[in-house]
Amino acid sequence: MTRAEAKVSSWESDARTDLALLVKTVGYEFRKRIQFRTGFFVREVLNGMVQPLVMLFVFAAIYRSASASGDAADATLGSWQYSEIVRYVAGLLIVMKLVFNARGLDLSAEIFEGRITKYLTMPFRYFVLIQGRFVQFTIMQVVVATLVWCLAYALMGDRWLVPVSWLATGQALTLVLLGSYCCFLLTVILNTLAFWLDVVWSLLVMAWFVISFVGGAIMPVSQMPVWASSAFSWLFPYWMISAPIEILMGRLGTDAFLRGLAIVTVQLVLLDALRRFTWRRGLAHYVGAGM
Amino acid sequence: MNAGGETDAYVLEAHGVGKSFTTFERQPGFLGVLKNFVARKSVVVDALSGIDLTVRRGETVGLIGANGAGKTTLVKILTGIVPATTGAARLFGRDSFHLRNQEKARLALVMGQKSQLWWDLPPIDSFKLLKEIYSIETVDFDRRVAEYTKMLDVEDRLKIQLRQLSLGQRMKMEIIGAFLHDPDVVFLDEPTIGLDLVSREVIRQFLVRLAEERGVTFMLTSHDLEDIEETCKRIVVLDGGRMAFDGDLAALSAQVMGKRAIEVHVDPHTPIDESALSRDIAAFGAVVAGRSVAAVTVVVDAARLPELVPALFQLLQVRDLSVERQPLELLVREIYRRSDREGSSIAGSRPEGASV
Repeated sequence: MTRAEAKVSSWESDARTDLALLVKTVGYEFRKRIQFRTGFFVREVLNGMVQPLVMLFVFAAIYRSASASGDAADATLGSWQYSEIVRYVAGLLIVMKLVFNARGLDLSAEIFEGRITKYLTMPFRYFVLIQGRFVQFTIMQVVVATLVWCLAYALMGDRWLVPVSWLATGQALTLVLLGSYCCFLLTVILNTLAFWLDVVWSLLVMAWFVISFVGGAIMPVSQMPVWASSAFSWLFPYWMISAPIEILMGRLGTDAFLRGLAIVTVQLVLLDALRRFTWRRGLAHYVGAGM
Repeated sequence: MNAGGETDAYVLEAHGVGKSFTTFERQPGFLGVLKNFVARKSVVVDALSGIDLTVRRGETVGLIGANGAGKTTLVKILTGIVPATTGAARLFGRDSFHLRNQEKARLALVMGQKSQLWWDLPPIDSFKLLKEIYSIETVDFDRRVAEYTKMLDVEDRLKIQLRQLSLGQRMKMEIIGAFLHDPDVVFLDEPTIGLDLVSREVIRQFLVRLAEERGVTFMLTSHDLEDIEETCKRIVVLDGGRMAFDGDLAALSAQVMGKRAIEVHVDPHTPIDESALSRDIAAFGAVVAGRSVAAVTVVVDAARLPELVPALFQLLQVRDLSVERQPLELLVREIYRRSDREGSSIAGSRPEGASV
């Protein structure tokens, strides 16, 4: 066997182990999540639903005050009518369930308390275990979000957000999931700062707020000033939250999807490179506390 | 040397290994906190320095030393968890901090104070995850789980969540998990800490049997000298980050570990005349190793214990008396004292530059 062949064989073997391990990890993460019924309901079902519901009341008040007749339905802010904003918030409720958030990962605590020590002597990439949590989160949230959408549609009919086409649904889901992976990578990077800092949780909270704002979880990005919306459209959070909802509503088309796909893919690659860099540098600082 | 760079003789090597940590000095009081906030003063702490150590395949090495001696830091460096600041550490012929998966697959680490297994899962599920990580064949996996759980008497605990097991049962599961992939080198960091006598004994027997049957190389750190005595043939003593002794355990036992510490509690109203006591017990080869207002600790050869104890009752107003194996700190001090006096005549060797 030549050296190159040996390298390929070793790579294939590692990839097989990674995949088998990923599948096992996803299974274990599922079992952990559904172990307690109340915990499952609070963490998995209510996850991402509170903020959009609050926003619905905020938007109702804003549109009512902007309306000459005092009826929110008559008002238009930016290019958004009140009925569209309601459907945007409905979309937000579904999309925010699919977006990975810091709560799904306690890597910083594992680093800070030295719990990753055990993994460092094992013959596998620790990142596979973390990816397992992302995959489990995504599968579970896709199922829960679909059920929530079906329930809401059964109750509200066309007043609820109904995708304009299956193509739009596929495009929106692709952008949300790729963006969610970017969000996951960013969360991992911030968590690895625990190799140096003990304020990671504060940074995560700040980062989540910025992502929510830049992505359009507080208000649609296209409703913001032009300079802001054009600047934010170069960042993955916009293509993870606001743009997919507008695609579902038919406000954005395939051209926008392709642009978003390119932007998100490039940022995903950059974030992954940064994730590898911080992990490698962090390990050199690691002291294996508590052993 | 084989293709992987591993020498035929040694699986583990440390050459001049040192480790320094930078910490920041904290000044007391409010003003001190303000000063720290504006300008921090960094302090470099040497946790290890100049460690030279080679371990052959199949050797069982006990690593002892007082708290802060550098035992765990040395294990962390040798297993590749942290890099050495100076010198070179090699495992299977490769730089420990840059081990590849093929070397990691031959290594196992058991940490008495940290769980290797998954807290929320029953041990059997953790074992199955380890099966995937180490690519263990199903036949071997099933056979080893059955064999090891029987040896450690935890067959009926496999399906109970790890967090619900007792400390002893948990540690047994940790050890099983560490041996499932049939490692060549196993590091055990205080594996019996907090366990009862029966559990300790079972674990020791398990380790001895695997070392004998499979030729596994062990490095065991423990504060319990019985752990070391029963499982290891070689002993390494660390003190203040330096190697104080490296040699054969049997020889050390004969020369130093045959000591006993007698703690004598006396009437607090009758002061102890330490110089007179030292003079009187010198006839038995004993020395005063420590004292407080109402107690004195005397160290003596175990063989002379029957003569000294009655004499102590005559010399002192004894209220209570206990005899124990020589404490670790006294043992280390004794090693230094002897090596200063006898040079290299003490069993094993004393590295250059080691100081008391």
